[in-house]
Amino acid sequence: MNTILKLEHIQKYYGNEGNITKAIQDISFSVKAGEFLGIMGASGSGKTTLLNCISTIDTVSSGHIYLDGTDVTEINEKQIARFRRENLGFIFQDFNLLDTLTISENIALALTINNAPFSEIDERVQEMAKKLNITDILDKYPYQVSGGQKQRCACARAIINSPKLLLADEPTGALDSHSSQMLLATIQSINENLGATILMVTHDAFSASYASRILFLRDGAVFTEICKGSDSRRAFFDKILSVLTMMGGGQSHVY
Amino acid sequence: MYTKLILKNAKRSAKDYLVYIVTMTICVTLFYAFLSISSSYYKPDLGSEYDFTMLSDGMKIAICMITLLLLFLIWFVNHYMLRKKQREFAVQSVMGMEQKTIGRIFFAETLIMGVFSILTGIFLGIFCSQFITAMLLASYGRPYEISWTLFPDTVLLTAVFFVASFFVVGIFNTRTIQKTKIIDMLSAEKENEPELKNSRFISVAAVLFELFTVWGLITGIQKVWFYYDTRFAFLVQLMFWGNILFPLMTLVWSAFSVIKKKKRDSFIAGLLIFSLLNCLTAAGVVALTNKYYLPLGGGTLNQYLLFVLVDLLFFICSLIYLASGLIAKWKEKSPKHRYRKEALFFFGQLTSKLNTTSKTMTIICSTLVLAIFMFVAAPVLTGWSSGYLKIRSMYDIQVYSTYNDVYEEENLPQDSYAVITDFLTEHKIDTDYDCTFNLYLPKKEDFHNRQKYDFPIAAISLSDYNTIRKMLGYEQISLRDNEFTTQWRAIATKEEQDSFLKDHSRIMTDAGELTLSHQPYYEDTIGETAYNSYTDVLYVFPDSICKKLLPVIKNRYITTAKNISYENARELERLFTEEYPEQTEEGVMYGIRFSTLQTNSTIASNFILQAAMLYGAVVLMVICLTVLSLQQLLDAGQYKYRFSVLRKLGVEEERISKLILQQLSVWFGLPIITAIIVAAVVIICFIQIISAEISAYIGFGALMLQIGVTVGILVILLICYFISTWIIFRRSVNS
Repeated sequence: MNTILKLEHIQKYYGNEGNITKAIQDISFSVKAGEFLGIMGASGSGKTTLLNCISTIDTVSSGHIYLDGTDVTEINEKQIARFRRENLGFIFQDFNLLDTLTISENIALALTINNAPFSEIDERVQEMAKKLNITDILDKYPYQVSGGQKQRCACARAIINSPKLLLADEPTGALDSHSSQMLLATIQSINENLGATILMVTHDAFSASYASRILFLRDGAVFTEICKGSDSRRAFFDKILSVLTMMGGGQSHVY
Repeated sequence: MYTKLILKNAKRSAKDYLVYIVTMTICVTLFYAFLSISSSYYKPDLGSEYDFTMLSDGMKIAICMITLLLLFLIWFVNHYMLRKKQREFAVQSVMGMEQKTIGRIFFAETLIMGVFSILTGIFLGIFCSQFITAMLLASYGRPYEISWTLFPDTVLLTAVFFVASFFVVGIFNTRTIQKTKIIDMLSAEKENEPELKNSRFISVAAVLFELFTVWGLITGIQKVWFYYDTRFAFLVQLMFWGNILFPLMTLVWSAFSVIKKKKRDSFIAGLLIFSLLNCLTAAGVVALTNKYYLPLGGGTLNQYLLFVLVDLLFFICSLIYLASGLIAKWKEKSPKHRYRKEALFFFGQLTSKLNTTSKTMTIICSTLVLAIFMFVAAPVLTGWSSGYLKIRSMYDIQVYSTYNDVYEEENLPQDSYAVITDFLTEHKIDTDYDCTFNLYLPKKEDFHNRQKYDFPIAAISLSDYNTIRKMLGYEQISLRDNEFTTQWRAIATKEEQDSFLKDHSRIMTDAGELTLSHQPYYEDTIGETAYNSYTDVLYVFPDSICKKLLPVIKNRYITTAKNISYENARELERLFTEEYPEQTEEGVMYGIRFSTLQTNSTIASNFILQAAMLYGAVVLMVICLTVLSLQQLLDAGQYKYRFSVLRKLGVEEERISKLILQQLSVWFGLPIITAIIVAAVVIICFIQIISAEISAYIGFGALMLQIGVTVGILVILLICYFISTWIIFRRSVNS
């Protein structure tokens, strides 16, 4: 399978000369098309900074990020918004839906911004809603539906343009355990059935167990990496827990 | 430490609250500029025949009344700042600062900004007062000269007024801060999530409108029952029946909507149309009563003016309420527009805001209509009044009488007003002309005719008419023995003249038949008291004819060699009214006018009226624009989130800037355009009603100029507010 995302020696510093904070120090890895990659780490390990750099919301201090061959760090300011909407899809912890629009309009907005032909829009929204099982709530407003439904709407919006890479930042962070399971199953099916490449940041071992490969970050660097391979999800979950314990910050996750 | 915090906060807030400072400065400037002419230090050179104290006292009262409106504005802006800073207060409370102290710090901050506005305002007010001085001197017909107006008493009054207002509002704010719980302060920003439920405002408005419609229907039936006559002109008949028909249709439509369970939007849309129809027929009452001398009375007119006002208010209210529905409908029907780039987002922004703020928008819109109307009406009213003044005070002394309540011929006025002659001799006041004359009824039988719209036209003898013309410097006229001619009031229209002269080429009098002269009419103004009541025309008959007619009115016009002084005029007025009261037992009504007194009081009251109306209009406009602008800025936190979502979805900065501009344009444009349209209709009706007075006393050119100036001021204010809102809005969305 070909590589869709490649990071080379990424560094990110904050602050000025006297007081420099290294948020990311020399991270390199690559993601293959159709892969479901999880990134784990404690608070302050640099996982959100890394995601922001990949998603072009933030800039790197040094290094290169290639998305399908294009160097993201070299794109100029004017082109960046266009690049983002054509190549990336986002799912956020707090949904980021617009309260002023209905669920279907929220999904359609992603299409209209991308200049999709207006005759196709309704059909594509319906099709996507069917896949994510949210057809019943299409005419409702975000504040009228549950957290899980909101996040599925956010998923629909993120993948409707068939992005090359889907970025999820703690997607289950604001959900109860039942909704989390449903959502993760949905994301997994997006990965398996639609062949979407997914990069998910989380600090929750259960969420991470849905991924096929996990990178562990500590203090801005890759600590280790594990693959699911042919393991069951249960076995993979145990593996994750043991890595967390080894990292020293994992006690809080063990009951 | 606290002082440092206060100063730092004020400095930082100054940038954020640009709108607050701009508004306060404008208010102080206007307050100072208008009030400066009422200062006891202000001594303009107006000439000895004018009494200035009346004007300055009147101005003080008028300005203070209007300025009460400013208190509302100060309260509103403070409320906005209070909400903006809730989170900051919460953090300070959590850190252990007492809420009392937080309240005081906030008060000190606003006071610093307020004092800055006061100082800037007074400084600008000194320049601005030059315009007011120019306006004042022009009113008194004096040349303009610069006078610097930094008066201690005005400065003190301005400072005391505004500082006191800050204190009153500040005390309320401190109490609010003390009473708010920390948890509520922390979640204050989340509080403005849109409530997309429809407010109950429109239902309440509709119920009130229905109640007024019932009242209108009852009044309409009453008026037809008591006053209707089949001989009325077609328009009048239409007006009478329309005032029953349209309110009835409104109620039938409401009953129908309730029975058929119609949707609220279509119900309100129906009411919108009916409110317009009701408004037209109600306005018809006011317009036609004046034109056809309908015997409806002042009370009824006021009642119908109230109906017009209620109908207009409901029209504005339902129009704004329906606006979001219309946008939603249009959006549904046209996928092409709906799915064009960020259009979905834009429509969402508009409808959500319109749904929650139709009440505020209605109030803003109505207030703007009032402000625009005041702007245009002020010069019309004062122009009318000063134009009328010229005609009213053509003679230095004029004595007039009416016989409207006299029912016996022997009680008619016959006196030659000797008291005036005595007074003039005693005070050695020389007269240039002195003319005592009668007005006669062509037919004696008309004496008992007292119907307003059929009042008999009076006649003057040729020699008296020529004396009056000589007094005013007009050419003498001549008539043959069996001829007559006519003299017209300035207010009469050309059409009225033509149709009258066509029907009256011959008239019968008690002294025989007369034919119209080859010069059938004269239009030179000869004053308002030379005509019979309710008539715009006066016959001029040969002297020989008049001798045989019944004299019903006795007038006396005098022009003096020198202006009569203010004191002499007051004294003679007192002596005259003692002997000839306004209402005598016989029913004769006497009156006396002096040009000195008339000019003095008219100029002063005109100036007060004009200044107060202009000041009021500007203050109302400033209030509306501030509220509009702050409404947007209050929600900036929420907008910041929404625009950040767009940004994450990959919308370019340029597009976002364009969306912000579009949103603000609609937000400012909708109420202003609605207000301009409604105001235009109101003003056109107003001009229609008094078009005769406008062409007679003001001239349409001057009126158009005034409308142009109004539009200019509105545009300048609008640009100021729009730009400052836009800058702050972008700052808060992009930060």
